[in-house]
Amino acid sequence: MPPAPAAEPVDTDDVRAAAAGDRQAFHRLYHLHVDRVYGAVYRLAGFDHARAEDLTQDAFVRAWQKLSGFRHESSFSTWIYRLAVNVALMDIRARSADPVSMMDEDSLPDHGETPFCAAEREELERAIGRLPPRARAVLVLHDIEGWKHEDIGTELGMAVGSSKAQLHRARGLLRKVLGEQ
Amino acid sequence: MNEFEWLRQTRALREPVSPRRDLWPAIDAALDASSEASPDVPARRTGQHIQRWLLAASFAGMSLFAGSLAVHLRDRPLETAATPTTTQDIERWRPSDPRLAGAAVELDAASMELRQAMEEAPDSPALQRLLYRTQKQQSQLRQMEHQAG
Repeated sequence: MPPAPAAEPVDTDDVRAAAAGDRQAFHRLYHLHVDRVYGAVYRLAGFDHARAEDLTQDAFVRAWQKLSGFRHESSFSTWIYRLAVNVALMDIRARSADPVSMMDEDSLPDHGETPFCAAEREELERAIGRLPPRARAVLVLHDIEGWKHEDIGTELGMAVGSSKAQLHRARGLLRKVLGEQ
Repeated sequence: MNEFEWLRQTRALREPVSPRRDLWPAIDAALDASSEASPDVPARRTGQHIQRWLLAASFAGMSLFAGSLAVHLRDRPLETAATPTTTQDIERWRPSDPRLAGAAVELDAASMELRQAMEEAPDSPALQRLLYRTQKQQSQLRQMEHQAG
């Protein structure tokens, strides 16, 4: 399972009310969780705000529709995070014509300096955003979101070894872009 | 850079991000749209169900009628059967000629299926028309055997 979020907001009453059809309660849940959900989707969408907005909206609509089936086995925060990641991964699956293709190294712009100071963060995000969708998904889920390869393989429908290979290649491409050996 | 250092940097990207705009109005509108669409779902399913009945019944009826017409055109004597007088008799009527008997069974089945479909949609004009047509074909089939005999 992916790691739990750092702070678990107290939202149990609103979750129960929303599951019973209270739209205002769901609105409060939206405000409580949207930034974390949006952050994950935004990274999986290659730091593309327009796509991340569409996917986040879709995730919350699906959450509303599935909320009556929420069993409180995990926190709502973890549940909606996982649901949103699934929505983003479905989008990646739908868009990926070639599930194992990688970006050609020659197509990546060379850059001289080694990151990572705060000013270069944007550059790292841009480089991640330019990775092929599946490789980006593996890198984002493993290196940023902290998922295990087993979970990534399950979600993306690939073997653990393939997930590791994708990650290795994605890291190599990023390091090249960012100017490392 | 070793893996630890790399992960330290990439994990720093794992933080909440605010959308550039409030997404709630669009979500709210989508929820409204989905709740308005929901009551139509059973009606749509019923409509599709009736459509399937209509298609199946009309296909069965038309093919049987064509088949029975072909039988009629063949210049071979047919045995005479008793003429039914009521609607129930028409449905239970079985020609003695095996070539017409099959068509009669199929028309009976089509008629029964249409009646079942009409239990779900008793006011459907299309179903009523199809039932009328099926009964007419049953009647024509009966006449064919009578004339041939």
